[in-house]
Amino acid sequence: MRVYILRRLLQIIPTVLGITLIVFMMMQSIPGDPVVALLGDAYTEEDAIKVREAYGLDQPVLVQYFIWLGKLVQGDWGASILTGRPVLQDVLVRLPVTLELIVLSMAVALVIAIPAAIVGALRQNTWADYTATSVAMIGVSIPEFFIGVLLLLVFSFGFSGLLPSSGWVYLPGTCPTMVCGVSLWGNLQHILMPALALGVGRAAILTRLLRASMLEVIRTEYVTTARAKGLSERPVVLKHALKNALIPTVTVMGLQVGFLIGGAIVVETLFAMPGLGTFGIDAIIARDYQQVQGFALITALAFVVINLLVDLTYTFLDPRIRYA
Amino acid sequence: MATPISGGSVREVELSSVAGVAWPAPATTSESPLAEALRRLRRSTTALVGVAIVALLMVVAVFADALAPQSPIANDQTKTFLAPSWEHPLGTDQMGRDMLSRVIHGTRISILVGVSSVVLALFVGVPFGMIAGYYGGRVDTTVMRLMDLILAFPIYLLAIILMVMFTPTAGLIGTMKVTGAIAIVRIPIYARLVRGSVLSIKEKEYVEACRALGLRAPRILLRHVLPNCLAPIIVTTTLGIATAIIVEATLSFLGLGTQPPTPSWGWDLKANVAFIQANAWLALFPGLAIFITVLGFNLFGDGLRDALDPRLK
Repeated sequence: MRVYILRRLLQIIPTVLGITLIVFMMMQSIPGDPVVALLGDAYTEEDAIKVREAYGLDQPVLVQYFIWLGKLVQGDWGASILTGRPVLQDVLVRLPVTLELIVLSMAVALVIAIPAAIVGALRQNTWADYTATSVAMIGVSIPEFFIGVLLLLVFSFGFSGLLPSSGWVYLPGTCPTMVCGVSLWGNLQHILMPALALGVGRAAILTRLLRASMLEVIRTEYVTTARAKGLSERPVVLKHALKNALIPTVTVMGLQVGFLIGGAIVVETLFAMPGLGTFGIDAIIARDYQQVQGFALITALAFVVINLLVDLTYTFLDPRIRYA
Repeated sequence: MATPISGGSVREVELSSVAGVAWPAPATTSESPLAEALRRLRRSTTALVGVAIVALLMVVAVFADALAPQSPIANDQTKTFLAPSWEHPLGTDQMGRDMLSRVIHGTRISILVGVSSVVLALFVGVPFGMIAGYYGGRVDTTVMRLMDLILAFPIYLLAIILMVMFTPTAGLIGTMKVTGAIAIVRIPIYARLVRGSVLSIKEKEYVEACRALGLRAPRILLRHVLPNCLAPIIVTTTLGIATAIIVEATLSFLGLGTQPPTPSWGWDLKANVAFIQANAWLALFPGLAIFITVLGFNLFGDGLRDALDPRLK
């Protein structure tokens, strides 16, 4: 197991290098000059040369990449060309917001998907199953931002503004700066709609998959044996069927991380949340190379680490799976 | 390169099982697999609903100029924020433009981008997958590592960076840029899918017989291997159009898709979000249009999958 984890951790390196290198090359080919964005229209060529030298922008692209990489190894993620702030600091400030959004949206997805899939599978071809599968089909067909808009219409602009339409209040203990709104209740009010907007689509996908897996598993001999032994339906479903049906679902949950990161960009933009998604899109549009590299790096890391965790979850769900 | 991580779209994750789809075995000796699949498709109510929605949308997209009561870009500052009425069934936006006309013309952009991006990805991804799967070895490794690299990106991140690279614009050129960005993101999906199918098909006796007869590889691939990979490709393509439409709407929502004044559902939704408190319909109608279109392709795709391989139902 330890060897397996070590090997997987080593595999992270080429993946992250590949992603960051491609993003670096792509950003360099974007039309426009970040120096112009920094200095404004009224600048002299001398100023521009100084700024280019200061940020290494006068070097060839590959050299720039390796300079960035060299600094990264020493824990220096570089500084934003536009604000001058260290990129790592910006990423760490925004990471808790996006992490909370992703974790809660996944929780929303599971809370909806598991019961819906169990009911759908156990009562196949009944109204309950048709309802679950129809709702799931609707869920996979609605983009996150439209769910977000519908939630805004109902909970922010309807019901006398039950939930805030934008902004952010931090969880106690997570405020990254000296001044920020901190409150558990306030945080819950701000995260609820974004988490629902992002989670409902995932719930629909997981419901469809889990229902299909459950249908397959409940017809297997070991489930029949469990029932024949006289076990009540609850442990048969939860311990024997669900646990095994969850294996493909967990795989898909890992694959969904990429979507959650992408969805976070959209949802954070809609709800004006100070997370990594808005940080990334703002950086890409402003052509702030250093910030974009930081965003690509944290995204790639999140991707590979979560997929590693997913692989390790298999051993819990199915003890027969052992990694040598 | 590490194991491919993702990059697949919402629906592609469900398609791992579709890779195994093959033309169904005929129920009777007299019925061809295609006829059998069509018979199953006709029996599925949900699939027929999907077909009806898709057909209707195609008609709307083709005849948008004739169906739209006004030009989608005609401003009228005296008619801003009008509620739905007989004159303007879906109301007007902040520039006094008729929302029904914008929604109708938006159909054209969505369908055009959805279909053409998937077709483009198909024409690049399928040959890559066929070559990788058939020749194997270094060719396979080189092609598939390249595909894995694209797949390792979160789909939206890659599409966003590509669109910033291409610089979003209005009109047909802008639409082509979005099409290109979405196609690039989707190429590896087809390459992976087809490679998997080719790996198993190339070991079949009839392919071996073709080789023994001295047929050249391109002919074997096009005449004998490709037709047997078509079932999963058809299913993935139909579901892929739905995903491409969502990606286009999302890019437009972020301001990186087709640019105004070209009508786009995602852009209209974004532009009108600020006004929805007083004028909810402004965001509702473009959003509903996206939902109904995606639902239509999803229902059709699901029906096709069930028809081509009922074991997956």
